[in-house]
Amino acid sequence: MAADAKLSHTAAMILQAISAGVGYGFSIMEMTGLPSGTVYPAMRRLERDKLIRSQWEKQSIADAEQRPPRKYYNLTALGKSTLEASRKRYPLLERLISTEEASSR
Amino acid sequence: MKPSADQIFDALDETILRSAALLIPAVQRSEWHREWHAEFWHVRRSCRTTGSFSWPAHREITAFCLGSFPDAFCVLRQSWLPPSQPARTPAAPRPRLDGSAAQYLLCLFVVLAVCVILARLEPGVRAETDTSRYQVSPGLILIQAARSGDNLTPSISADLFRNWKATRQRYFDQFAFYRTARETAPVSSAHVARWRVAHASLNLFSMLGLQSRFASAATEDDRDVPSVILSHETWTRDFGGNPHILGGLIRFGHRTAKIAGVLPYGSWRLPGRPDAWILEPDAQLASDAPEGGLGYLLAHLTPRGESEMLGDHVPIAHDGDPNDLELCGVSFANRLQGPWGIYRFALFLALLALPAVTSVTLGESNYSAHRPSRKITFIRWTFLGAKFALIASIANFASLDLSYWCASTYSPLAEFFQLVWCFSICLFGFRWALSDQRQRCPVCLRRVSHPAQVGLASRTFLGWNGTEMMCMGGHTLLHVPSLPTSWFSGQRWLYLDTSWEFLFADSGLL
Repeated sequence: MAADAKLSHTAAMILQAISAGVGYGFSIMEMTGLPSGTVYPAMRRLERDKLIRSQWEKQSIADAEQRPPRKYYNLTALGKSTLEASRKRYPLLERLISTEEASSR
Repeated sequence: MKPSADQIFDALDETILRSAALLIPAVQRSEWHREWHAEFWHVRRSCRTTGSFSWPAHREITAFCLGSFPDAFCVLRQSWLPPSQPARTPAAPRPRLDGSAAQYLLCLFVVLAVCVILARLEPGVRAETDTSRYQVSPGLILIQAARSGDNLTPSISADLFRNWKATRQRYFDQFAFYRTARETAPVSSAHVARWRVAHASLNLFSMLGLQSRFASAATEDDRDVPSVILSHETWTRDFGGNPHILGGLIRFGHRTAKIAGVLPYGSWRLPGRPDAWILEPDAQLASDAPEGGLGYLLAHLTPRGESEMLGDHVPIAHDGDPNDLELCGVSFANRLQGPWGIYRFALFLALLALPAVTSVTLGESNYSAHRPSRKITFIRWTFLGAKFALIASIANFASLDLSYWCASTYSPLAEFFQLVWCFSICLFGFRWALSDQRQRCPVCLRRVSHPAQVGLASRTFLGWNGTEMMCMGGHTLLHVPSLPTSWFSGQRWLYLDTSWEFLFADSGLL
């Protein structure tokens, strides 16, 4: 997929949230205010288009915190360049979800 | 130990997740469910901050779990695509049924399926639809006293029937007669039933064109024993639907008759509603009739009679009755045509009345050079046609379901209700379909949204005022005037060119 492909605002928000370090579905929901029925299908499509990739966290980390292991997402190189193009298109994106805000959560 | 409310909701949420998981292809299911289950754990922990039960928290958790369905559908759709298929790229608007349009059709189809299933389950509807398949002889009328009016009442004596049958008739070539009476019949050693018995001429069923089920052949010994035909209700109610009673003897009062058959369910449309019919020779009918006992006379019209006796009620001149009774012939063709005739009539009435309740135009006018392609126009009209077809089918089955909900077999009241229901559903359904179509983008069939008020009513002569709505795919704007004027009387579509696309990223990747 070309890096200059246009993203919808929703997809751009999700990419921005992942870029800001919010790597889990539920955390992205909290950060963007989008419902689960929007966030997860959008992430499937972003992953299908190789803009993000997913990885299971280590079982040992989850065991240490006595919770099930989570699948987390991060941007690919293509995802980063697409997000960069989307930021030009949606200039308020970075203000909506800034890296500082994400890291404070 | 009683489960707590939290446990019940947890079980419900888990059920939702597991149900959604069933939509996922088997190879991806365990990983998909693992991810949702892990997120569910975090959602629960985040929402249940207090130890006590909280409705808002549970609502939020359940809403999260319900989001698994769109995700499951997304995974399912992706699994249907061939692996080599490239990702969807933003492109020019393609003619396709948008989700809401497809869902709309799917909803209508589900409603139709439910109506059809109900129709198959309701005995009244089954009887009605089955009866419509019977071939009933045309040209039949019921002759009765003119004073009875629309009510089908017994008013003819057996003597008059014999008289008419014996003399040459110009307008009729066949007669049949029956009269009903209450009689007892011992159906078992312990139970004596009280039936409404019709004493009928031998040719009654052949004249009506009705064939009884399990008809047993007559033997030499049966010459002096009259045959009796049971109604389907009597057969199932008093004999438990036992086919082995056929050919057996049964006593009616002082007389014995042989059970010769069972009339199919709901096929009897004539007045009287008998439980059984005893077929007797004409002489016996007249001799056994009680003093003043009256019955129903059926006549079959000759071709000349059919051409001259038009209408539902026709006066009949005769000179065969010493009492000089005024007679009329009542056509019961309507009773024999089944539900399809009523459905067709209701459909016709609804289409006729449709322009009176809504505008039948679709707001096709536009004031831009852009026009949808023929393919897009074809899909749009196909969508409208599919909606009309589904609504018309729903009206057929739903009207039968509603009319025969309580009636187990034919009744004039049920027919009237069928007509009313069918007409109402067709009329308001078509109106709904048209108003829905008027609010769908002609390019992508999405419903337009985000209404905005434009202009002022006091400045109508300077510019239009009304409501503007937009297609979220960025294809069109819909302008609906608040005050129709001579230069802007109906709604208009404004087709947007590609320069608007950047505002509508919806047609892009996601």
